[in-house]
Amino acid sequence: MKSKVSSSEGRFAYEGLDRVIHERARLSILTSLVTNPKGLTFNDLKQLCALTDGNLSRHLNVLEKGKMVEILKGHERNRPQTVCRITPPGRKRYLEYLSTLEQVIRDAAKETKSEPAGNPIRGLTPSRA
Amino acid sequence: MNDLYKALDDISSIRRQMASTTVFRGYGPATLAATGVFAALAAGVQAIWLPDPGNHISIYLSIWITTAVASAALTGVQMYTRTRRIHSGLSNEMLRMAVVQFLPSAGAGLLVTIVFLRYVPFAVWMLPGLWQVIFSLGVFSSCRFLPKPMIAAGAWYLLTGLSCFAAGGSRALSPWTMGIAYGVGQLLVAAILFFHAEENLDEI
Repeated sequence: MKSKVSSSEGRFAYEGLDRVIHERARLSILTSLVTNPKGLTFNDLKQLCALTDGNLSRHLNVLEKGKMVEILKGHERNRPQTVCRITPPGRKRYLEYLSTLEQVIRDAAKETKSEPAGNPIRGLTPSRA
Repeated sequence: MNDLYKALDDISSIRRQMASTTVFRGYGPATLAATGVFAALAAGVQAIWLPDPGNHISIYLSIWITTAVASAALTGVQMYTRTRRIHSGLSNEMLRMAVVQFLPSAGAGLLVTIVFLRYVPFAVWMLPGLWQVIFSLGVFSSCRFLPKPMIAAGAWYLLTGLSCFAAGGSRALSPWTMGIAYGVGQLLVAAILFFHAEENLDEI
């Protein structure tokens, strides 16, 4: 039994689940930006991710510090405009994260498939209460 | 269980969307230049050994179909390995898109050849022009995922294809109608890819 455990040691470690990306708001920001490589304005991003100004700024700041996004300040029709864009390292890290997430779901689907139908949670018996 | 499969579908759709906005870097300039050299060599072979292609159409077709198959095989193998290396996280999606872009043209070229040989053998002189026009359509449809100047390569093939029609008759079967079109065209494609490789170096 011990050898079986040691042979699959770290199988579910998922080192690729980047902590910076693994947060709901930041994940939605990056997903919006990765599918719009030319960038999105602050307002568009706010609407797409359903975030408040303060929350979006805070999460963008974290992503900018991690060099995953760049924030470009400029003007459009004499109005100040902030455009957010994903950086090449950001795209790379996001893709690595996506691959790991896919692996997590595949593993979960495999485990769920191999479970016997009458015993949904292995090793646990239903409460009589 | 359905939720898990839906999540996997969502991840695939994000990947597809990412792939659709990424410049494809699976075509190697050196390989495409080599296919241009193949075309020039085939033209040389035809010029030496086949002075009258109009009366030996099967030999003419053998030379050019062999060249096309060799070029496609070389490009395919290199594209597969290069895409796996450069677009590691998106390689399957990028390969699928590259093939989907070009496959209709390749299929149309093959079917046109079969139909012409089978039903209108007297119009076989039109084949080089048709191949080039169909190839240009393949290049144009791939332009969306390639550097923008690639449109010039598509225009080149369209122009040479139309010139073949304009030449008409047995002149269209001259070794240089194919040799120059594909020799220069593939070198042009290689040059465009080579000079635009730097700016997309960080792409995945």
